[in-house]
Amino acid sequence: MAGNVMVVVREVWDTRDLVSSPLDESGALKPGALATRFEPEDLNALEAALRLKDAHGAKVTAVSVGPPRDVDVLREALYRGVDAALRVEADPAALDDAALAALAAGAIRQAGGADLVLTGTAVTDNENALLGAHLAAALGVEGVSWVDAIEEFGDGRAVAKRAVEMGYEFVEVRCPAVLAMGVALLEDDPRTPRSAKAMLKLKMKKAEIPTLTPEAAGAADPAAAVRTRIAGMETIPPRAIASREVDVEDSAALKAMLDAVRKGD
Amino acid sequence: MAHVLVFAEVDDGALHDGSLACLGAARALAGEGGQVCALLAGAAVADQAPALFAAGADRVLLCEDAALAAYTAGPFRQALEAAVRAADAGLVLLPASTVGNDLASATAAALGAACVLDADAAAAGEGGPRLSRAGFDRKVLTHFAPAADGPVVATLRDGAFAAPAPDPARTGAPEPLALEPAPAPGSARVLRRDVAKRTVNLKDAKTIVAVGAGVGSAEGLALVRALAEALGAELGATRAVVDAGWLPADHQIGQTGATVRPDLYIACGISGAVQHRVGMMDAGTIVAINTDANAPIFRVAHYKLVGDLRTVVPKLTQLLSA
Ligand SMILES: Cc1cc2nc3c(=O)[nH]c(=O)nc-3n(C[C@H](O)[C@H](O)[C@H](O)COP(=O)(O)OP(=O)(O)OC[C@H]3O[C@@H](n4cnc5c(N)ncnc54)[C@H](O)[C@@H]3O)c2cc1C
Ligand SMILES: Nc1ncnc2c1ncn2[C@@H]1O[C@H](COP(=O)(O)O)[C@@H](O)[C@H]1O
Repeated sequence: MAGNVMVVVREVWDTRDLVSSPLDESGALKPGALATRFEPEDLNALEAALRLKDAHGAKVTAVSVGPPRDVDVLREALYRGVDAALRVEADPAALDDAALAALAAGAIRQAGGADLVLTGTAVTDNENALLGAHLAAALGVEGVSWVDAIEEFGDGRAVAKRAVEMGYEFVEVRCPAVLAMGVALLEDDPRTPRSAKAMLKLKMKKAEIPTLTPEAAGAADPAAAVRTRIAGMETIPPRAIASREVDVEDSAALKAMLDAVRKGD
Repeated sequence: MAHVLVFAEVDDGALHDGSLACLGAARALAGEGGQVCALLAGAAVADQAPALFAAGADRVLLCEDAALAAYTAGPFRQALEAAVRAADAGLVLLPASTVGNDLASATAAALGAACVLDADAAAAGEGGPRLSRAGFDRKVLTHFAPAADGPVVATLRDGAFAAPAPDPARTGAPEPLALEPAPAPGSARVLRRDVAKRTVNLKDAKTIVAVGAGVGSAEGLALVRALAEALGAELGATRAVVDAGWLPADHQIGQTGATVRPDLYIACGISGAVQHRVGMMDAGTIVAINTDANAPIFRVAHYKLVGDLRTVVPKLTQLLSA
């Protein structure tokens, strides 16, 4: 079976190792305080989709809601090897996962549906990882969360390796289904997403990416689909920690530290 | 405040601690006029009901059905939706476990309800409950509110609320809740599970020596294990170490592992990614050993030891026995 795979990808704030809060006094994001990046777990979902293409000849389409800001996630997906890309014109900033899912599900239907829809789990900024569940509900299909790997695909079914508290479970779903990939990849993990290909970059640089209006995606007023709104953001005061450096060459200092910490200081 | 429904998660015949903490939160949020209701769902789980009454539940809805023997989203979602109606709940709380987060998001999507996963705080507010979560590398607290009327579904992170002390004087009779119509044979089916039995008790440990990818190999672990033994400590690990297969999953500390609050936490070769820090940053005293003076772990450490764990750790072990 060849099959149709759609992968829903997004551009998010890069929140790695922030040294200080990105908010101003009023609780708004300071302009320029953060760069954006390809949501890392969406990249894992993209890689999983491309592996289905490599192994089963699946046709892979990347779908995203909203215009690119710093990173064009759809073009990046084309550079890595997806067959097609589809953009929904809407401003994702004001939308929650329910509204994003309504638009993405509409776009997936417009594009003829899919055997598997893949997405990431974590969202690095506000971390409400609900897109997969809402996509499954909007498409009326089964959803599986925290998928580490797709073990089998074909004959109208897929087997997902799902991370659970003390290990893994292997879940079989009938297609179509939504799999939310929740894998945390390590630096030299064999599942690390492939990088963009120079040849594809040349070829796809100017490729036309079809766009759908919210109406065409079946949600003329996407804001009406919002279920969870942000009531405010505030800076968490940094924890004042009395931190002292201990010279690791100085045995007396190390001994003093051990004595102190064992007494609970 | 409206009535609050708590999903009582049962794992391996035991109530999940997080569900008891949810009952504590529910009691605080329901206020004077609100009822706290618990859903107990499984194949044979009735014996857990007294603990739920004792922990503050006013009502326990008991849904026993063979389809609920092992967790799959379909039938559990059906049970939770029925319980939301039976309890007339304005707020549904679940522990932020694998099951809780999956069930919360699936149920909220089915109900078209507002949903917040991994909440760090919950409070009763004007337009409904207000859930908050630390994001942006735990630098920002985001407050969420429902955009429309209807129930709000949330999962509470381990540690957000304390489990109430059980009050044996509080008793009651569970009310049966039928799973009707019989759940449609779902298209999802768990073929097999590959899960370890818990061998360490990190949650109650007073001292934890934790190891990260900086240990380099399974052999390097021996040094760290020796330090743990010298301190009478439990051995913890990062996900990197677990994924590498150097230690089993029950050693993992962090967002997808245990949340721990020992008196003393010694981090050996751990970079301190936010998903790890969230599970250990409330430890009383944190000592970190890392070759990289700029490792984020040092931002939460009381004692900063910049050096190679392969020399520093044996030195500490030796100083302890000297
Ligand atoms: C959704 C999600 C959930 C996650 N859940 C968890 C979780 O529950 N728990 C968790 O831990 N992680 C979790 N992670 C992974 C997390 O992001 C990090 O990848 C992980 O914590 C890194 O582990 P580490 O510090 O051991 O490894 P690394 O980040 O590789 O750090 C190794 C450190 O060792 C130091 N080092 C190297 N050699 C030496 C030496 N000889 N002596 C001393 N120091 C040395 C290095 O300087 C470095 O700082 C999750 C990720 C995601 C996306
Ligand atoms: N897909 C996205 N790409 C880039 N930024 C985003 C995205 N989604 C949300 N944001 C930003 O993150 C902030 C919080 O929005 P949200 O996470 O959508 O509630 C907003 O200011 C958005 O601009």
